[in-house]
Amino acid sequence: MDMFMNEMERSLQMVVMFQNQSLGIAIWFSKEGNWTIILLPEEPIVVETISSLIFGKVPEKMVTRIVDLRSDTVTKPTEAMRAAMASAEVDDDVLGYDPTAFRLETEMAKTMGKEAALFVPSGTMGNLISVLVHCDVRGSEVILGDNCHIHIFENGGIATIGGVHPRPVKNNYDGTIDIDLIEAAIRDPNGELLYPTTKLICLENTHANSGGRCLSVEYTDRVGELAKKHGLKLHIDGARIFNASVALGVPVDRLVQAADSVSVCLSKGIGAPVGSVIVGSNNFIAKARRLRKTLGGGMRQIGILCAAALVALQENVGKLESDHKKARLFADGLNEVKGLKVDACSVETNMVFIDIEEGARIRAEMICKYLEERGILVMQESSLRLRVVLHHQISISDVQYALSCFQQAVKGVQNEMGN
Amino acid sequence: MVARIVDLRSDTVTKPSEAMRAAMASAEVDDDVLGRDPSCFRLETEMAKILGKEAALFVPSGTMANLISVLVHCDIRGSEVILGDNSHIHIYENGGIATIGGVHPRTVKNNHDGTMDIDLIEAAIRDPKRHLVYPTTTLICLENTHGNSGGRCLSVEYTDKVGEVAKKHGLKLHIDGARIFNASVALDVPVDRLVQAADSVSVCLSKGVGAPVGSVIVGSNGFITKARRLRKTLGGGMRQVGILCAAALVAVKENVPKLENDHKKARLLADGLNEIKGLRVDTSTVETNIIYVEIEEDSRTTAAKLCKDLEEDYGILLMPMGSSRLRIVFHHQISASDVQYALSCFQQAVNGVRNQNGN
Repeated sequence: MDMFMNEMERSLQMVVMFQNQSLGIAIWFSKEGNWTIILLPEEPIVVETISSLIFGKVPEKMVTRIVDLRSDTVTKPTEAMRAAMASAEVDDDVLGYDPTAFRLETEMAKTMGKEAALFVPSGTMGNLISVLVHCDVRGSEVILGDNCHIHIFENGGIATIGGVHPRPVKNNYDGTIDIDLIEAAIRDPNGELLYPTTKLICLENTHANSGGRCLSVEYTDRVGELAKKHGLKLHIDGARIFNASVALGVPVDRLVQAADSVSVCLSKGIGAPVGSVIVGSNNFIAKARRLRKTLGGGMRQIGILCAAALVALQENVGKLESDHKKARLFADGLNEVKGLKVDACSVETNMVFIDIEEGARIRAEMICKYLEERGILVMQESSLRLRVVLHHQISISDVQYALSCFQQAVKGVQNEMGN
Repeated sequence: MVARIVDLRSDTVTKPSEAMRAAMASAEVDDDVLGRDPSCFRLETEMAKILGKEAALFVPSGTMANLISVLVHCDIRGSEVILGDNSHIHIYENGGIATIGGVHPRTVKNNHDGTMDIDLIEAAIRDPKRHLVYPTTTLICLENTHGNSGGRCLSVEYTDKVGEVAKKHGLKLHIDGARIFNASVALDVPVDRLVQAADSVSVCLSKGVGAPVGSVIVGSNGFITKARRLRKTLGGGMRQVGILCAAALVAVKENVPKLENDHKKARLLADGLNEIKGLRVDTSTVETNIIYVEIEEDSRTTAAKLCKDLEEDYGILLMPMGSSRLRIVFHHQISASDVQYALSCFQQAVNGVRNQNGN
């Protein structure tokens, strides 16, 4: 870095006026009084940030660097994935079997320790199919967390599309539901004249709305025992199950052993462009395949997407631990920013919830806007809360850059509020 | 072992071409749920323009396209849709409009040419005065080309007339246009003119058009906005879907001009099959890329047996439809030489001459 700077000074006859290594920029003034912004090797710059630093005001949006922290779904296919997609062996997966889809499904079933697997276009369909196949009698009810993805972010499809009644039970901050509350929610068959029929319990691991928190294998097993005791099935919404497995240091098949079915996202941290996989027994998957067709998820030469997913599994499961480290780095850094608060002990995987401190006199939407103008994209959860999600296409330098933007955002917004 | 496979089961078996694979590998993509995938946006914009509607939506399959279309039009509880008793939606889509969507189907007899009599459609529309006992008719569905009739085309005049009936009674009109491009080519009517009377159309990209995956729904802006939401609910919201859309864009450009050829090949084979003692094809019904072959009563074989023989001994794959009927579907990856080969295999199979191909 220093060698580069010295060389620049010497060859361009310029004097360094300003430099910021974490932002990756430096500004030189020539002897004639002109100033030039120089990009440091491999580091793009945000012209706006520089201008505001020097001149104290924000010119028109000229952002060249985007750091997308809205979700791990934004991951784009890598070169290896694109090559695999281009050369994928395919066939009509409805009339018969697409060979690449078959390979992916076989591999996923093995990895998750279940008999069979089914590729579906999305996690929403993965969960919808699973609930509807388990709840195949009219008047079924499913017990699930009141703050789980199925209940909050899937358009209520299990009810509006599937005719299944949801029975939400309070999610704790760690993503679990109290076992005795689950048991209390199970309908007494003696009351069947008035009651729907409890068929299924759903868990979510990692639990997104708690900030990507992990359900332990012990807890999962206990819920599984409860389900068995009452003749119920257990489904795990395992969109980010690999994150949980890595964070807990528990093999993924052991982690979901108690479950009758699991839905696993390939398009999130795993980084594939599209799709999820449902795993379960042969019988369950046979019914799931049929319901997938009914819902319109029966795709033809689907091996193209499955080829990318196979590469993704190989390339990116190993990188999840890194995403968790970046999240912790982020969380610790944000906790240093006056006005923001992160419950660092709740940062177990790749998600960080950022709360605005009371009395900080700033609102989340203003921070979001400020950050967006500087190319940092985050998700606003409420007027006092933001969410960031780390993935393998966010570098350490991105994290540093984002942190400094957060610092400026809070200061900037507070100044605006003060004026 | 059979060395040469000629797959005539469906036009869905088409595999992506080199150009499509290249397009997929280099497709510009983004998260189509959090925002818009640029390749998907391009495909949807193009398809809307081609079909003369305001907007379009890419979906994983024709089944989802029809399911979404019916459910969006029939958005009030107690809706009913009028459709052909031999239509794809009614026969081959798992009854999803009812089991998933809560919509009641009211079937009307399909004629052999794929149409339904206009007066029978009109008679099936529920009288609002008796709403205490009736569901509410909300939608009429047509299918063009009509699969179960052998890929027969609904004329633009017929479509317009059904559109007028729909308007007169305040109903919507949806066209299951899985093979609408085949109809447009065969009738020599621009595809946007052909579907002008429709409020929505579902168009398959993975059949004769040759893309690996997907269909597109077209309709008004308001309709497509609701369709997008329902697509998410059903689980069709895919992320970096531009990969599939890039292939579809290439497919539409490359293969729509080849459809006329598929129709020629179908007629060629149909004429040839009609010459074979024991088989009969009503060649006047072969309007596009689908042939139904009847096995005559005095021949000593059944549809299932003939299919099996053709597959095992000759590598010709077909779809049996009932005990004495076969279906053949053409697409751009079947060559003229494949047609000749298939014809000779049929001759041998029907006449009981087994070609010992390597056995």
